[in-house]
Amino acid sequence: MSSQLVSKVDVDLPDAPSITAQRPYLRWVGMAVGLLVVLALPFFIYPPVAMDIAAWALFAISVDLLLGYTGLLSFGHAAFWGTSAYTTGLIAIHAGLPFPVAVLGGAVCAMILAVPTGYLAVRRTGIYFAMVTLAFAQMVYFIANQWRSVTGGENGLQGVPKNLGPLTDLINQDPFYFYYAALPLILIGVVIAWRTVNSPFGRVLVAIRDNPARARALGYDVERYKIMVFVISAGLAGLAGGVFSASHGFASLQELIWTTSGKVVLITVLGGIGTLWGGPVGAALVVLLEDRLASSGFNGIGIITGAIFVIIVLAFRHGIWGTARNGIGSWLRSRRRAREDA
Amino acid sequence: MQRTRNSMSSFARRPLALAATAVTGSLVLAACGAGGPSSGGGKISDDKVVLGLLNDQSGVYKDLSGPNSKVAIEMAVADYKAKYGDKAVAKNIEIVQADHQNKPDIANTKAQEMYDRQKADIILDVPTSSAALAVATQAKAKKKLFIDIGAGTTALTGKSCNKYTFHWAYDTYMLAQGTGATAVQNGGKNWSIVYPDYAFGQDMTKSFTNAVTKAGGTVQQSIATPFPNDNFSTFITKAESSKPNVIGIMAAGGDLINFVKQFNQAGLQGKTQLAVGLMFITDIHSLGVDQFQGTQFTDAWYWNFDDQNRAWADKFKAKTQTRPSFAHAGNYSAALQYLEAVQRAGTDNSDAVVKELEGKKLNDVFLRNGEVRAADHRVLHDAYLVKVKSKDQVKEEWDYEEVVSTIPAAEAFNPTVSTDCTM
Repeated sequence: MSSQLVSKVDVDLPDAPSITAQRPYLRWVGMAVGLLVVLALPFFIYPPVAMDIAAWALFAISVDLLLGYTGLLSFGHAAFWGTSAYTTGLIAIHAGLPFPVAVLGGAVCAMILAVPTGYLAVRRTGIYFAMVTLAFAQMVYFIANQWRSVTGGENGLQGVPKNLGPLTDLINQDPFYFYYAALPLILIGVVIAWRTVNSPFGRVLVAIRDNPARARALGYDVERYKIMVFVISAGLAGLAGGVFSASHGFASLQELIWTTSGKVVLITVLGGIGTLWGGPVGAALVVLLEDRLASSGFNGIGIITGAIFVIIVLAFRHGIWGTARNGIGSWLRSRRRAREDA
Repeated sequence: MQRTRNSMSSFARRPLALAATAVTGSLVLAACGAGGPSSGGGKISDDKVVLGLLNDQSGVYKDLSGPNSKVAIEMAVADYKAKYGDKAVAKNIEIVQADHQNKPDIANTKAQEMYDRQKADIILDVPTSSAALAVATQAKAKKKLFIDIGAGTTALTGKSCNKYTFHWAYDTYMLAQGTGATAVQNGGKNWSIVYPDYAFGQDMTKSFTNAVTKAGGTVQQSIATPFPNDNFSTFITKAESSKPNVIGIMAAGGDLINFVKQFNQAGLQGKTQLAVGLMFITDIHSLGVDQFQGTQFTDAWYWNFDDQNRAWADKFKAKTQTRPSFAHAGNYSAALQYLEAVQRAGTDNSDAVVKELEGKKLNDVFLRNGEVRAADHRVLHDAYLVKVKSKDQVKEEWDYEEVVSTIPAAEAFNPTVSTDCTM
């Protein structure tokens, strides 16, 4: 019941067909512009911050896959992000493999962790689902804290190398080049999320979100679908977490703590849930804001992001991206109607 | 009707959407000019020498170093400029600072930013050992200097040592040598150690256990606490359970103050001897001398030790209204000696400056009989075994310590270079 609560409160599709459905070329124009922005980012923004935005964007997309498209609020996604961050670090440190291999290893590890977590969590919905995921995340946090010989405990896993064959020196000396070396991993994640949503599988997820009982009556195994999307989402969160730890050369308990799970949900809701592209917008906003405020010596970052969150939730219920999309859509529609009337 | 409502809603939505786009857009623009591949520099890179101060500006270690260390560094810059005037190699000197909140991940990011973005030539201070280790890793990767003052872990001159990292003021070996061995000689044979569970606490426990055992005592138990932590009562009860002569507390700053407060409230003051691993004068000041009186500990520097110290402390007090801790004096000394090395080298190129520091014998207000050991970049200097005065002995504000003995530089620090250290 409460899963419906979550979905009904936060998600409702625009009343008219979306603009891209009416004008298919707009989708490709939008994607080209998006890709261009992503490629140009480190020219305008300090490259490690740009990398953070990219990683958080994919992390938010992974949460949106669950929250926006399946109606499941995971409050323990830091477990997958952090597990992958540590695994990536451990693989890179002990095996000395190129960092993309380490990141993929981290993502796989996150997916493996997601199987038992998802298996137990999807049996519950709404707040109970959130609590089960949070409980698992806390367990992972405490394991990482206590298993000092492997994770470094409070000190974190320091000195994660970035290896990439002959390019190793280049990407280590200048984070500008590392951004382009790591970006393909993020883009692969985005493409996977996009394919998942725009597939028959994705339509079933939306059906489950809107009415699980009806989806079950139609013969879909609701639990299995939920576990599958949970594992996919964990994999994407893992991909993002791995890139994050490779970028920083560091995996710390901060990656696993529950506030990280909270931050990614906040980013997703800010950007707009059920939109996929809201994640990157929210990530850019939050990461840049934190960066600006921190470098200006302001300590109450939480006050600002909290205030923005309240404003967005009250005034722009569809998040930044959702509001913008709906706004442009209804503007185009009203223009067309005006033309038809004339 | 239908149409009116629709156009109304689109009218209401449009400005909102525009506002959202404007916010995002302006943020992106605000961040402009910070990107692109980085470039190299000339004799003095970017025409200025940038000193980066990275420490705790808001948390438990704020008082013992924090923002006042910037004042100390400014004093060093002023003294350097006054000494060399027009002949100064470093004409433009800029100081930047950041708060690492005692978290290694934040320290890691901030250090990278300082070196890359703010063009820092050197990072100073960095209390909290785990954070210091992260900065040492960045210094090695970026080939820029890092002089640590505030952190105690011996790993900085051991496993994590590198060509660009120097350890200036103290370390856990020095503290354990002075405090631990003395307490055992005075009859404190059985120890319980309470330590914060991160690099510094772990290292302190190791050093103290070594020193106590070597002096003929035993450590019955060592108890880990979270860091930072507020409530120590369960840990105090546990430490007391083995009926030790001495409880050694390895926490520092705000955590130490909390611990001692609760230790005294539990009625243990005077019953069980308290050995404080690391104490700053600012800790005594916040809690009052009567809470600590008689406690012996090892200090790297004391402001009222002699006239030279006192004169510097007076200047410091004129600017900050407080007396300096050894970390403040250490920051002054490190900044000054760095600038002197730049002066000798004629450039702020890291390798050249390192060469000017390695193996040098240095003396200033903080370093007495100082020497930069070339093998591991441990800075050796005199340390002091001190005792907290009782209330009636205190003649003026901040006059809290009585120097029992001076530990000569050669004995204060580990005479053997760690085998883990490969530059």
